[in-house]
Parts: sequence; structure tokens; C-alpha cells
Amino acid sequence: MNTQITALLLLPFIGAIVTFVVGKYKKSLAFWFAEIIGITLFVLSFSIFMSWHEPLNFDFQWFTFGATTLPFGIYIDHLSLVMLLIATGLGALDIHFSHDYMAEEKDQARYYSKILFFIGGMILLVSAKELTGLFVGWEFMGLASYLLISFWHQNSAPADAGVAAFLYTKFGDIFLFAAIGLLIYYTGTLDMVKLNQPEINGSISTNIIYVIAVFIFIAAIGKSGQFPLFPWLMRAMEGPTTVSALIHGATMVNSGIYIVARLFDFYVAANALIVVASIAALSAFIGATSALVQDEMKKVLAYSTMSHLSLAFMGLGASSLAVGMTHLVNHAIFKALLFLSVGAVIMSTHHTKDVWKLGGLSHKLTLVALFMGMGILSLSGVPPFSGYFSKDAVLASALLNPQTHGFLSTLTIIAGVLSIAYGGRLWTLIFGGRVRDREIYEKATTPSLFWISLPLGIMAVSTLVLGFYHEKVINFIANQEYIEPHADWLLLFMMSAISLLALLVYYFYRRRYSLREKVSAQPFMKTIRQVLLNGYYIEVMITWFAKNIMVYSVAKSINWSEKHIIDGLVNGMVSLSHKIFILFEKTQSPKVSNQSGTMLLGVVLIVMIIFIGSVL
Amino acid sequence: MSSLLLIFSPIVLSLFVYFITRNSGYAKYIALALFGWMLFESITLYMQLPQTGYMLLGEFLDVKAFDFKLVLQVDRLSVIMLLLTSVLLILVTLSSWSMKNQAAYFALLIFFSGAIFGVFMSTNFLWFFIFWELTLIPMYFLVGVWGAEGRVYAAIKFFLYTHVASMFILLAFFLIYKQSGTFDMTMIKEAVLVTPTLIWWLLFIGFAVKMPLFPFHTWLPDAHVQAPAPVSVLLAGVLLKMGAYAMIRMVILMLPLEAQKYAWVILILGLLSLLYAGFMALYETHVKKMVAYSSISHMGLVAIAISAMSFESLSAGVYEMIGHAFIISPLFLIAGFFHHKTGSWQMGDMGGIMQKSPYVSAIFVLAGLGALGLPATMGFIGELTILISSIERFGTWLIIILLGSMLSAAYLIWTFRRVIYGEMSELVMKTEFSMSKVEFLSLMIFAILIVLFGIYPQPLFDMINQVFSGYVIGGAL
Amino acid sequence: MSAFVVLFASALFSFAIRGVLIQKAFAFSALVVAGSLVILGYTTPLSGFGSNTIISFFELIVFIVFGAVVLSEDETINITQSLFIASASLLLLESKTILTFVISFEALSIISFILVSNIKNATQAEGALKMFISGAIATGLIVLGLSLYTIEGHSLNEAISMKAGLFGTLGLWIILVGLFYKLTIVPMHGWAADSYAQVRPSHAAVLSGVAKTVVVIALFYTFSPFILENLSFNSPIFLVLSVVTMTIGNVLALFQKKIGRILSYSSIAHAGYMLLPFAVLESSFASTGLLYMAIAYIFMQTALFLLLDKLSNGNSDMTLEQFKGLATKQKLSALFFTVQLFSLAGIPLLGGFISKAILVYAVVDVNLTVVALIVLLNSALSVGYYAWIIKHIYFDGVSGENKITQVAIMPLLAQTILLLGTLYFGIFAYSVFSVTI
Repeated sequence: MNTQITALLLLPFIGAIVTFVVGKYKKSLAFWFAEIIGITLFVLSFSIFMSWHEPLNFDFQWFTFGATTLPFGIYIDHLSLVMLLIATGLGALDIHFSHDYMAEEKDQARYYSKILFFIGGMILLVSAKELTGLFVGWEFMGLASYLLISFWHQNSAPADAGVAAFLYTKFGDIFLFAAIGLLIYYTGTLDMVKLNQPEINGSISTNIIYVIAVFIFIAAIGKSGQFPLFPWLMRAMEGPTTVSALIHGATMVNSGIYIVARLFDFYVAANALIVVASIAALSAFIGATSALVQDEMKKVLAYSTMSHLSLAFMGLGASSLAVGMTHLVNHAIFKALLFLSVGAVIMSTHHTKDVWKLGGLSHKLTLVALFMGMGILSLSGVPPFSGYFSKDAVLASALLNPQTHGFLSTLTIIAGVLSIAYGGRLWTLIFGGRVRDREIYEKATTPSLFWISLPLGIMAVSTLVLGFYHEKVINFIANQEYIEPHADWLLLFMMSAISLLALLVYYFYRRRYSLREKVSAQPFMKTIRQVLLNGYYIEVMITWFAKNIMVYSVAKSINWSEKHIIDGLVNGMVSLSHKIFILFEKTQSPKVSNQSGTMLLGVVLIVMIIFIGSVL
Repeated sequence: MSSLLLIFSPIVLSLFVYFITRNSGYAKYIALALFGWMLFESITLYMQLPQTGYMLLGEFLDVKAFDFKLVLQVDRLSVIMLLLTSVLLILVTLSSWSMKNQAAYFALLIFFSGAIFGVFMSTNFLWFFIFWELTLIPMYFLVGVWGAEGRVYAAIKFFLYTHVASMFILLAFFLIYKQSGTFDMTMIKEAVLVTPTLIWWLLFIGFAVKMPLFPFHTWLPDAHVQAPAPVSVLLAGVLLKMGAYAMIRMVILMLPLEAQKYAWVILILGLLSLLYAGFMALYETHVKKMVAYSSISHMGLVAIAISAMSFESLSAGVYEMIGHAFIISPLFLIAGFFHHKTGSWQMGDMGGIMQKSPYVSAIFVLAGLGALGLPATMGFIGELTILISSIERFGTWLIIILLGSMLSAAYLIWTFRRVIYGEMSELVMKTEFSMSKVEFLSLMIFAILIVLFGIYPQPLFDMINQVFSGYVIGGAL
Repeated sequence: MSAFVVLFASALFSFAIRGVLIQKAFAFSALVVAGSLVILGYTTPLSGFGSNTIISFFELIVFIVFGAVVLSEDETINITQSLFIASASLLLLESKTILTFVISFEALSIISFILVSNIKNATQAEGALKMFISGAIATGLIVLGLSLYTIEGHSLNEAISMKAGLFGTLGLWIILVGLFYKLTIVPMHGWAADSYAQVRPSHAAVLSGVAKTVVVIALFYTFSPFILENLSFNSPIFLVLSVVTMTIGNVLALFQKKIGRILSYSSIAHAGYMLLPFAVLESSFASTGLLYMAIAYIFMQTALFLLLDKLSNGNSDMTLEQFKGLATKQKLSALFFTVQLFSLAGIPLLGGFISKAILVYAVVDVNLTVVALIVLLNSALSVGYYAWIIKHIYFDGVSGENKITQVAIMPLLAQTILLLGTLYFGIFAYSVFSVTI
């Protein structure tokens, strides 16, 4: 195998161990090891990218059990490369950013080690040829996110968030696991390239591959935080913001989209893209609307992640692989930028996350405000930022595809244009307007130019530059000349309408504060706000189901039956034998007369038996 | 002759250790040396094994009239069990380093090692049974003397329950002898037997108790919970495996036709164990009981693999047996450690132990992740291979075994949350968590084994595949 | 010169010896001489007596056990009685005709009465009395049976007639029932539950350990032609008696508080096991099974009662509570006691297991699978109370009212002999098989 690829695959895991050991020895070394490895990984990916012209394919066998051999191949094509570049590039920037962000953290070794493990999982996931290899990476991501979200495990909230992240994604994962089993059973192969070929996926009945495709998509729902498995995404905000950037931007949540993209032709053959599109449209709407009312900065971004991933899914669901993937790439960059910007704000305001306590920070954090503004513009889909082109293409695809045209495309467009509303709201509340909390404002520190602003700047510039090269990007992702669908007029019209509305609202927010109070005091509005704030109560419902049905009904009744029936029978034997003992003890008299009497009775019985026996 | 020594020298040695060493601390070194020698001998046996079939080590004490002779024979399956057992015995010795009343404790451990080697090495039913029963004695004492507060109940329940089950096994052996005229398990031909169905059921019930399968499992949570942690390891790692080993050897391979006819029984009971025990663990707030139910749940997985009776599934089943031994052992050890330190079994009393004892907690998490089947641990390979092979045999509906995987994820992650993570409870705050280096070493070895064979399972499968190579469903080995 | 003469003469002579140690040595050497005579093939030179390899083998075992008993005893009178019982046992085992059988049996009974009449307290007196009264009834029954048997004109001075009519059959059965008294078969077990538990444990050792097995072996070889003659009729009766006896014995032993009582019920249960071969006579394993059971049982039961006697200092009222923490005080005695208990429970590598296994196999051999299962489950049930005793020995701390006395070296030596017997017959099964088959 190519040494570059070997290094790319192994370095993060070896690095994670080395970083941990070294970091335990000397705290500050952990960062430098991680930084060097992070950059090396990006360099490696980039050099593979530069020299790449056809899919790299390496076949290995993992193990043989019985007569069955499970392969573990490596396959790197344009899709993998794009994901590799994002994961390693943003990962390296994230590590760089962490230097200041996590400076106060005592346990540096553990942090950087987990981050490297996280990136390694993503690299493994996107380089795998078979579903087994992908699943390994997939589960590594789940583990890493669990460990990183509950990084501050000594507090309850992050620990709970980690549990949620693991279990929600694990629920999806078992469907992927099941799909692996089914695929081996029906097709005998887990090779994702082969699965895309008609001779494989055409050889089994459409119903079956439909089921398999849906199973895989459920896993993608879990990983990419789509309806209804998204609540973990918001809970994940308990982790360090750098981790959020990594999860929501560079790595984990992208893997769901990646797997659908990777098996795109399989989905086409299964006729399952409509499922993808439906879930995507719904999730996009839920995410975008919920993002509008969140008070916590990171939660706004979390819902926006959900919504934008849905857009990427929508692109796939509308049969445009390249469009969906391009949006994924663009989203990864601007979302990482946004998270890190918010991280910078949180850091300089000493861990203030409530957006209503901030305001007017643009004077203090000018660079951050600028870069974050660029990110918001890209997120909102303002030309010439890259977000505009891909979002526009997604919405156009949704409109043009007859399957998604109509209700689904409407939901998607609403979600797409709402991003300017919540994006603008977020930026304005943080940086614009008056200072709401003087104390926080006064204490706010200026972030370091090299450690904080530099990575932000790189990402901001990237999201802008990619906008200019959007055709090249999409051509590379499509691996051919590709003409983006466009729906310029519509998007521009809708956006200007929304922007006007937003300005109006903003005006009232600032000028007529009482009006806002009045509006939000309306019972109807209040209800809507509560519904949106709680993410449509999906989490409440799932938690209720898990807790009251699975644990307190099923598990509890099984526990009861164990105690009273299954073990009860066993212990019942003891009391039963005691009863028999007491019964038998009555036959045992200590009196000699009784004892002799029994003996004689025995004689009589025997004599009778002999008589009867001989008569018969 | 050295094969005979493997069995009887520990039994004799145990008396010396009990009476001579008098808690002077030498006992553990003697035990360690003995188990090291046993491991060495097992490896030697493995090297000497022929490609297929049995290797005769010796015949002793022949009673011709009753075919009652101590025939020591090993094949690959038994040597794998010997290797597993001797590795576990060494690790158990390490983790019992600071056990109280050492002379008696290690005497029993040594006695147990002889008996268990006898189980795996003898192919005469009667001697197999003799050693099978003999393993109960040290276990009875280990649970009863060194156990926790409810030890007497647990020890007697364990002893009686499994002894009753053994009676079914003995009756089955007698029926086999009556009908085929031999006690040699390598000679039994199913066609000769007059009542194979009866024999199958008797054997199945007997071994199902040991494995244990639902609904014959209730001795296990009590025994596991009350036993000291290293003894729980022996129970889970060796005694349960004995049941699974016997199940494969006698219920599946010896009576293939009957086994095929009633494979669904094993399958259903395996599935029920998997899910039932999973739900039990989900509701459990007692740390060690949770681990015990998790252990039952995973043995259900082994039963499913066994019931599929194919080359693949049997290999997968044996792999999962080994994986289960390595994964569940550190969980038991650490659960016992937490209890030893805090004095509480309840998860509610714990919390935040990670802050006090990060490395031990990390191994607990790692082993737990193994139990829930995370890739790069042995649990994942076991689950994957069992899923693939059982689907192959019984059809796609068997993907419901993944429900067990979801359950184990739920209860384990939730246990981590309650025990390891979160804010420190008052109890944890005032507790000093210190573990001796030797005990930690055994945990580390377990952790390394879990990951090593999880990433690179081929060496294990090389051994296991040879056991069943050429096996066809419904055939004998 | 036969073994009987040696034993009887030395028993008479031992009255003259003063000093326990000298008497022990004397009795021991008498047993050794008797044993060698048996090995050399001398049998009782009287008509109506004879021997064969099985009987000789068993006689040797009995002598070994008596050797242990003699070593363990510390009262001269008991040692003398032991020699008497040994000689009576020899006669009983070697008797060939009904008459010699009954006479030897009565001789054994009378010496047993004399043995237990060495009374120390009221409890022991009660036990001895119960045994005596029941014994009297049994003797009456035997005489009744004999007279019924002779009514048909059979001669008493020859082996059992195969052509017994109604009265003959009835007579023989009544004799059997009378003999069941000694075997403690239900319903003739009432006295045993009390007597074994109330007389001095060392006496109980001889009664339940030695006398019972000697009777059962003699009974088997004397009566088996009669039982075999009409097996389809006799077998169910024996089966029912056997199963009922073992079940009642095992269940009643379960929740007892006194060790002596547990052991006496366990003895009754074992009588049930020993009755099984009578029901499955057509199996070639019946005689082996019985002989094996007798051998294993004589070692383990004698050992337990003897050790109990030493631990309780001759007191028959030892409770489980008082037994607590034995293991911490006397490691060796605790181990002896435990191993013999395990043997009784039928745990492998000990005599008790193989004997029970062969007995059960004999039952399987005649296709009585369900009965075999019942027997096995009975045996499993018995583990409940044996394990319960062991729990008191090992799992519990020393109790406050501890009355355990230290066991001296001689009794420990005796225990070692008995333990070796249990172990030897638990591993080297061919020694018994080579005699019987």
C-alpha cells in the first residue's frame, strides 16, 4: 500500500496514544504533538489529492472465520478525497484553535488524544472500501463523540449529553449493522463500489434493497442528526466548542451524508431517494424554525447544522449527488468557522453562552466579528460566498426533481431562506446593537491573533474563495463536467423579502421593546416559541418512551417476573421442601409405642400385599 | 504421564498449600508458578496436536466391566479451552494478590485448576462428569467463604442448582452407555442410540444450566454478586465456558441429528437469554448484578451461534466465548473493586469515580465498550460473526439480535454515567481508590487482550477454524 | 483356626487386659491376624458357613474399619465390644443357611444392645431403649417368619428354598421385614432416627456404619435367590420401599438442627439406596453396586460418627450452632469431616460417588429410567443438608457456645485410615469390580 495512505490511516491512532503518553509526561507537549500530527495529516491528504487521478484501491483481508473471509479494503476516490481534505484541514485548524481555547484545561493529554482519535475515525470511515471498514470508522466516531462531548465528565450536563450522543447514534448504528448482515446474506459482498453496480443491486428484489437502503439511511439519520434522531446534536453543545466545531463541521455529522453519497447508485436502484428527501425536508424545516428562537449561541448553530445537513441530504434526495456533496463541503467550512467564532466569543466573554447577555461586541472583537459575519453570509446564501452556490443548487434541484417538487421543495426553500434570519439574528445579537451586560462587555478579552484569528481567517477566506471556484469544486466532486441547476431569481427574491422582514423585526426589537414583550406574551406565540425552543418536543417524546416504556414498563415487569416467577420458582422449592419436611416430620413420632405400631403396620401391609399378589 | 500430572498434581498440591503455607504469602507464588506451568503445557499440547482429531495422552485406571477408565485425549477445541483457562487462571491469581486468608484461597484455586483441566482433557463420560462435579467444590467454598454478605445463600444455591442439573447429565451418560456400550465420547454414533431424543434433552438441560440459558440462569446473578471479584471471573470465564464447551461437544457435535431437529430450542432460549438478561441489566442498579446479567446476555449470543451449527457459526461462537471471558472479567474485577472501596453496590451511591481513579475507570469503560460490541474490541468481532453466520442459517429475522446490542449499549452507557462520570457522590468523595500494581497489571492485560484480538482476530480464528474445519451442518466433527 | 475363632477368643481375652493402649494394640493385632486368615482363605469351620471372594473382600474392609474404630475408641469396654461385633459380623457374612443367618443376625443384635447399653446419660438411655424394643419386635417377626416358612416343610438348615409356596413366601417376607429393622427401611426406621441420634456417636458409628452394611450384604447373598425367583413381583415392592425410604430420609434430614440427627436420617436415606439392587437383581451391576455402596458407606458413615464422637466428647446432642467455626479451630478434623460428608453427598473422586453411580446405572440397566432420575434427584436433594453442615464448618465464624473438643492423635489416625478408604474407592474402582465381575 501507498506509504502516504498507510501513514494517513495509522498516524492519528498512533498519534493519539503517543500524545496521551507524552502529554501525561509534560502537559504542554500534548498540544504540539497534536498540532504536528494534525498538520501532517492535512499535508498527506493534500499531497494525495494533488497526485490523485484515479480511484486508489487496496484490498486486504481482515479475518477469516469458518469459510467466510471479511475483507478490509481501502478505496480512495474523489468523494473520499473531499472528505479527507475537510476532515484533516478543518481538524488541523481546530487543533490550532484549541491551543488558546483549551489553555485552561488541565487534562490536555486526554483532550488532544481524543481529538486525534476522532479525526482518525473519520479518515478510516471515508477511506474504507467495505461497509465493515466504514462501520469501524463509524463506531469510532460515535465513541469519540461520546468521549469528547462528555469531556468535562465531572459535571452532570456534559456527562448526560455524552450518553445522549452515544445512544441516539447507536440506535441508528444497529440498523447499519443489520444492513451489513443483510447485505452479506443477499449479495455476499460489502464492497461499496460493487454495491453501486447494477449487476449486484439488480440481482435481488427491489423490496429487499429498499429495506436495506432505509436501514442504512436510519444510521445516517442518527449520525447526521436528522429527524427524529437529532436531539443529541443539541445536547452535544455541552462539550468544548472546538469539539462542536469538529463534530458539526468537519467530521462526524458529515458521515451520514457521505454514506448515502457513497452508495448513491444503490439508493437509486432501491428507489429510496424519496425517503431521504422526505426526511431531509422535514428536518430542514424543523432545524431552521427551531434555530430562530434559541437563546444559546451554540444551540442556534446546532439547529442550523441540522437544517443545513438536511439541505445536503435534500440535494442527494433530489438525485443530485454532486450538489448535495458540494453543499456538505461548503457547510463544513462555514459551520466550523461559525463554531470557532462563537468559541472565540465564549472564550473572551468568560463562558457566556446566552446570546441575550452579549451585544455590541464588534468593538472589542472586530476580527472575529468580521470573520463570523463572512460565515453568516455564506450560511445565509449570499453571493459570492460559497454557501450561496451550493444552497441555490440544492433548492433548484429540489424544485426541478418531479419527486420532490411541491411540498418537499417548499419546506426546503423555507428552511433555506430562514437561515439568513437566524444567522442574522445571531450575529446582530452578539456583535451589533447595544451592550446588554456591561460587566461581561467590560471583562471581555481580545483573542490572540495567531491562535484564534488566524484559523478563523483561513476558514473565512476559504468560504469566500470557494465561492469563486464553485464550478471547479462541483466538477471535482461530480468527477465530470457538471452544470449546476440554478434558481437565482427565486432565492434572491425570497432572501430579500426575509431580509426586509428581519430588518423590520430588528427595528422593533431595538426601538419598541415593549412590542416584543407583547407579541411574545400572546398565548399562541408563546406556545409556538416553546415548541420551537424545545425542538418540537421530539427529545421529550423519545425520552419519555425510553424511560417510561422501555425501562419502567418492559424492563421493570421483566424484573418483577425474574424475582417472582423464575427465581421465585427456584426459591419456592425451598419453602416447598420445608412444607414437605413438616408433613413428613409428623410421621416421625418419638414415642416408642408409635414407632412399634408403625413397624407392625408395615408388617400387615407387606402381608396384605403378598396375599393379594399370590391371589392375583 | 505429564498429562496426568496436569490434573492431579494441582489436586495434591492444594492440600500442601492449605496446610503448609499457613498464610505466609508463598501460596500465591506457588499458584502463579503452577498456572504458568499449566499454560506452558497447554501451549506444548497445542504445538503437538495433529491436524485433525484427537491426540491420546494416556489411559489410566481401566475398569473394563464398566468402561470406566480415565482416558486423557485432547483435540483443538479442548486445547483452546485449556489455553483460555490457564491464561485466565494466571490473571485471576494476579487480581487476587491481596486476598485475605491466602493459603486456603489459593489452595482452592489450585484445586479448581486441576479439576477444570480434567474436564477439558478427559473423553470418558464418567471421568468427564467426575471433574465436572469436582469443579463445584472449590467454587462452593470460594463463594461461601470469601463472598459478600449474602454469600451463604448464593453458594448453596449455586451448588444445589448446578448439582441438580448435573444429575440430568449423568442420567444421559448412563443412557448412552446402556444403549451404545461405551463411555467414550469420541466413539458415540448417534445412529446406535435408541433414545437419542431423551438423551439430547437431558444433556441440553444439564448444560443449559451451566451456560446459563434462560430460564435456568437464576443461580448466576446471586453467585456472581456474592463471589469475590476474581472468583466471579472464574465463574464467568471458565465455569460458563465449560457449559458452552460441553454444549458444543456433546449436544451439537455428538448428536448432530437431534441437535438439528431441536436447534430452534437452543436458538429461542439463546434469544430469550440475550433480550431478557438485557432488560434485566437495564433495570438493575446493582453494579455487579448488572455485569452478571450482561454476562448472561452475552452467553445467549453464544447459544445462538451454537444453535446455527455451521462451520462459521461454531467458530464465531467459540470466538465469542473467549471474547466474553476477556471482556466480562475486567468488568467483574472493577465492579468488585468499586464495592470493595466504597462498600456499596448501588450505582446511586457512586458517580464521578473517573476523577478519583481514572485508569481503572478507563479500563471499565473499555471493557464495557467491548461488551456493547464496539469495533476494535473482541465484542464487535463476536457480534459481527455471529450475526452473519446465524442469518445465513436461520434467515434475516435474526437481525433482532441487534436489539440485544442496543440494550447492552443502553445499560452500559447509562452505567458509566451513573458510576464513572458525573459529579462525585459523597461516598466517592471520601473514599480512597487505590489498587495494587499487580491487580492493575491483570486489568491492563485484559484490556490489551480485548483490543488486540479485537483489531487482529486472525490468530484466534486460525486456531478456532481448525477445530471445525470441514464441518458440515448436521454432521459430526 | 479361622478368623472367627481368633476374633471371638481375643474378644473374650481382652476382658482381662487393663490399659487402653495395650488393649488397642491387642485388638488391632487380633484384627490383623483375622484379616490375614481371611486373605489366606480360612472360613468358619462349621456347617452352614462358607465364604467366597466377595465375602472375603468385604470382611477385609470390615476389619479395616474396625481397626479404625478400635484406634479411635478410648474405653476398654467399647474395644471389647467392637471385637465381639466383628466376630459376629464375620459369622453373619459367612452364613449360608437361613438358620445360621438368623442366629448370626441375632448374635449381632444382642451384642449391639450390649454396646449401646454403655449409657452415660438419659438421652442415651432413651436411644438404647428404643433400639432394644424395636429389636425385640423385629426378632419376634423373624421368628414368626421362620415358623411360617417351616410350615411348608422347608428345612432351616440349608440355603433358601426356591420352591416356596404361599406360606413360605409370606414367611420369608416377614423375615425380610424383620431384617429391615436393622436396615432402617421405612416403615421400620422409626427407632433409628432417634437411636442413632441419641446413643453415643461412636456407638452409632458401629450400628449405622458397620452393622447395617454387614446385614445388607449378608441379606443380599442369602436372599437374592428367593427374590430373583419371583422378581417381577418382588421388584416393585423393593423399588417402592427403596424410593420411599430414601425420600423420607433425605427430606427429614433437610431442616434438622442436630448433626447426629442429620446423619441418622442420611443413614436411613442410604438404606434406601442400598435396597435398590434388590429391585434390579437381573442387572449384572446390582451386586457390584451393592458391594460398592456397602464399602463406600462403611467408610464414610463410620468416619463421620466417630469424628463426631470425638468432637462432641461423646455427647450426642451436638447442634449445628455448636459446630460453627470448626474449620478455624481444627483444620484437619474439619477437612476429614467435610470430605466424608461430600462422599455421602455423592461428590466425585470419593467412594460415595462411584457407589451411587453404579447403583443408579444398575437401575438404568433394567430400563427404569424414571426411577433412576428420582434416585439421582434424591441424591441431589441430599446435597442440601450436607452443604448446610459444611456451611457451619467453614463459612461461619466461631460461635460463642463452642463446645468442640480437640481431637487427639489416635482418632485422627483412625480418620486418616477411613479417609484413605473413601479416597481409594473413589478413584480405584477396579478393585471392587475385579472381585464381583
